[in-house]
Amino acid sequence: MAARGDPGIIVRTFEDIDCAFPSNLSEALALLGDEATRGKLLAGGTDLMVQWESGSVDMPVRAISVKSLPELLVLKIEGAHVSIGAAVTHWDLRAAPVVRDALPSLAAAAATVGGRQIQMMGTIGGSIANASPAGDLAPALLADDASVVVASAARGERVMTMESFLLGYRKIDLQPDELIVRFEVPVRKEGEKEGFRKLGPRAAQAISKIMGNYRGAIAGDGTVTLFRVALGSVAETAVRLHKVEDAVTGQALNDGLIAEAERIASDSIKPISDIRSTADYRKWVGGRLIRGFLEDLKASPSG
Amino acid sequence: MFRHVGKGVTRLDGDEKVRGITQYADDLPIPDCWYGVVVRSPVMKGRLTSLEFDPAFDFDRVCVVTPGDIPGENVVDMMGRDMPFIAHDRIQYRGEPVALVAAPTRRLAREAAACIRPVIEEEPAIQTIREVVDTYKKSPDRLEKLSGQTIRKGSIEAGFADADIVVEREYWSGHQEQLYIEPQGMVAIPEKDGGVFLQGSLQCPYYVGPELVITLGLPLEKIRVKQSAVGGAFGGKEEFPTLVAGYCALLAMKSGKPVKIIYDRHQDILYTTKRHPSWSRQRTGLKKDGTITAMAVDFILDGGAYTTLSPVVLYRGILHTTLGYRCPHVSVDGHVFRTNTFPNGAFRGFGAPQAIWALESHMDECAEALGMSPVAFRRKNCLHIGDTTGTGQVIEQNMDPPVILERTLEKADFENKRRQSTRGVPVNGVYRGIGLCFFGHGSGFTGDGERRLRSKAALDLEYDDHGKPVVNIRISSTEMGQGTLTIMPQIAADGLRTSMDHVRCPLPDTKFVPDSGPTVASRTAMVVGSTVYGAAELLRHDLEVFASETLFGGARVELDDDRFTSAVTGDSRPFIEVAEAFLKIRGPHRVYNQFKLPDTIKWNQETFEGDSYPSYSWGCNIAEVEIDTLTCELKVRRVTGIFDIGRLINPVLAKGQIEGGLTQALGYAVMEKMNIVDGLYDASRMQTYVIPTALDTPEYDLGFLEYPYTHASPGAKGVGEIPMDGLAPAIANAVKDAMGIRFNSIPITPEMIFEAIRAKESAA
Repeated sequence: MAARGDPGIIVRTFEDIDCAFPSNLSEALALLGDEATRGKLLAGGTDLMVQWESGSVDMPVRAISVKSLPELLVLKIEGAHVSIGAAVTHWDLRAAPVVRDALPSLAAAAATVGGRQIQMMGTIGGSIANASPAGDLAPALLADDASVVVASAARGERVMTMESFLLGYRKIDLQPDELIVRFEVPVRKEGEKEGFRKLGPRAAQAISKIMGNYRGAIAGDGTVTLFRVALGSVAETAVRLHKVEDAVTGQALNDGLIAEAERIASDSIKPISDIRSTADYRKWVGGRLIRGFLEDLKASPSG
Repeated sequence: MFRHVGKGVTRLDGDEKVRGITQYADDLPIPDCWYGVVVRSPVMKGRLTSLEFDPAFDFDRVCVVTPGDIPGENVVDMMGRDMPFIAHDRIQYRGEPVALVAAPTRRLAREAAACIRPVIEEEPAIQTIREVVDTYKKSPDRLEKLSGQTIRKGSIEAGFADADIVVEREYWSGHQEQLYIEPQGMVAIPEKDGGVFLQGSLQCPYYVGPELVITLGLPLEKIRVKQSAVGGAFGGKEEFPTLVAGYCALLAMKSGKPVKIIYDRHQDILYTTKRHPSWSRQRTGLKKDGTITAMAVDFILDGGAYTTLSPVVLYRGILHTTLGYRCPHVSVDGHVFRTNTFPNGAFRGFGAPQAIWALESHMDECAEALGMSPVAFRRKNCLHIGDTTGTGQVIEQNMDPPVILERTLEKADFENKRRQSTRGVPVNGVYRGIGLCFFGHGSGFTGDGERRLRSKAALDLEYDDHGKPVVNIRISSTEMGQGTLTIMPQIAADGLRTSMDHVRCPLPDTKFVPDSGPTVASRTAMVVGSTVYGAAELLRHDLEVFASETLFGGARVELDDDRFTSAVTGDSRPFIEVAEAFLKIRGPHRVYNQFKLPDTIKWNQETFEGDSYPSYSWGCNIAEVEIDTLTCELKVRRVTGIFDIGRLINPVLAKGQIEGGLTQALGYAVMEKMNIVDGLYDASRMQTYVIPTALDTPEYDLGFLEYPYTHASPGAKGVGEIPMDGLAPAIANAVKDAMGIRFNSIPITPEMIFEAIRAKESAA
């Protein structure tokens, strides 16, 4: 039989990678635009270094570090949205007052990524580009109805919704000459509430079994006026649960509606079994997270 | 009287470790050192027909060792001699070495290793304890038995005939990885005399040399072993380092170069020993009033591919399957069966956590079957002074197990809290419960092992590097985080009656230290500690005689509190002055002492009758748990524990041992999970093998009761392993109390809780 090989033997080392450090966005796009200089984008490397070291992804010949590009470090409110540069770190997301006030569930999600070392190296753009269904930030961006801005030297900027950007398992709508520049995330309005919950195998430094975020609002009479919700680790990408949103929005938020939303949520996800959890548990607990979110919304001061 | 023993002396090795100065195996500066890599089997089981060497690779640039290069016998000389150093015809597990490679750079070594391919005719393999137990129940003859042992007391038939009811249950436990911070690492340096000098991360310097003699074809004195600083071990560096040492030594002897092998985390998890998975069938005869009449236990361990030291793990396991309870009729059948996975090995507790997990879950099941509270049932049956254990050992005056139980119940306010448990009906979306576990742990080697071991300790009065007199403790016991380097100077200084300033405990090197036995089995503080204490008393005597003759004109002199004083003349001189005079006149001085097991301890290794351990530590753990009905997540809120570990040498370090061990037990109980997929552990990185963080740790409320070991001073018993023993069953009992559902396998995960609730609902 053919040898399956020893998973312990990886011959190449990080020193073998030819890594470029462009000083601004146009330099980076120029490198990307030319096949001779194009390299794997590195935005902190907290996912890639592990994948390369383990051999699950081949080490590239060339890499381009975009972690220090000034255009990718922007973090400010611009009109009705927060503009978050792709190289903003998890640590900045959890700590910056602008994120904590305007996008509290994104800040909460960022606070659960790895440990401090990972949070200070890893970036929002890197995390989204890694496109793991277990990525901690995608559900927050989906629930907040964020847009993604990508750029190339040839075609300039291109704007997409987060939902259309996530194409499939580890697949995003990004061309070989493009990179993610920033995210534009609508600021939470007065009366809107957000929530985040992550279930991992332990209380910290854990990759999620399942997690989710919501943004919602209810009127004084108990009618749901806004409910956007997304879950991670339940499908090939993080997903918006439109069926749940449609069933809830415009309805009076009562126990019957919450039970119905839990059932719809559980029915509408198709999780898998893997090393962290089982499909059955995820399917059930996906509905339970929605229940928890709606109970949270119901108990909110505006409700 | 003790001046240093009993005090929370700050770790002597703490400063250099916190500052990052300590040199671990990979930090040792070894000039011209080559890197070793192991080429491994990609299949679990089969017949190795040949090795293919890629003709495109120039193997002259590297050193390759295959079985033909082994100077001695190709066998790892442990308990069973069934494991080859390098596979030559049979493959018994995925990852079994088929060749060794060394090269001047790590990269070149890896390149060469990737160019050697074993050709193997694959055969069907057995991977899990579930498969083993299924076969054991149907046709046990089809299993490959690596070891077996029974315990018999009274007549088990008579015991069951006496019973009003019989409670039978099965319990399972899985692999557990030690996950020490520093991975395995070793360097072998060829010596001019043809010998080899091994330095590395290991627990037992005197295991490595003797186990390599027949492989390397060298006399024992030509295999020198020195411990480098060890960043955690937990049993994982007990027998395993012999393998890495052998790989390095074989490569160094062939290449003539120093060779080091440092595992990365992934290799370390895939290709080193784990805790043995277990299955227990506990069958207990009970009278209606709660009296236990019979205890019959089947205890199976998954040995992995080879015997290594599994028989001893089995012995400790079966000796703890009924420990703590009075029962006239006992029958225990223990087996280790082969599976085609990496050989399982030593891990803190060494069979006892598996045994106690089953026993203490089962004692709650027995209580429930009788309609008794877990407390009343244990009060009725737990060993009192004068009772006998399953092997007939009498519980003597120097311990009092029921007191440990009672004090812990009081400390945790167990009975009151238990009244508030939810018993299967959640309150505000939460199940709450409290559970108990009562247990003992044998200190030191099983039976009369300590008599055969004849542990020695030496003290050297000599000059230190600065020309000052120093007393060096020469023992083969190792520091691996637990505090040996601190407690031994405390003990020696008390034996000498000096300050601790004059006493050092260097890392062991077999060139300089006598064999004090391995650093295992909760034996170091009790056995080696008392041997060091005795050696210190001998050295004090020698110094007192010298001082009297040389400096006090023949008057009787006593050393106490760092000064030599003559009660007759009133003269007094500081220790350091006398020590300097001694060294100037007589030169360096060494005293030896040897551990003596009291003659009263009798043990039959064939029948497993008699005194199975020189002494026992005792503990009681109470766990308080909450299960969130929204997610089925289990949170252990609080753990109360009282331990009798004999005399406390260093209460701060002892508490550290207990808290660390309990946290390791928490992981065992609710988190740490490995499955075998295609012969390899699926959780093979720190990303996937999940152990508790500080945020997962419950509030610990801990205390000690001191019943010292009476046969030797200062009277410590074992502390290293007992904190690993009791938390898993305490948690399972608390979960049962909270939810009304019994879990008979660990770890208890939210997924299992979800499945169990669903099963209960669909049954209802």
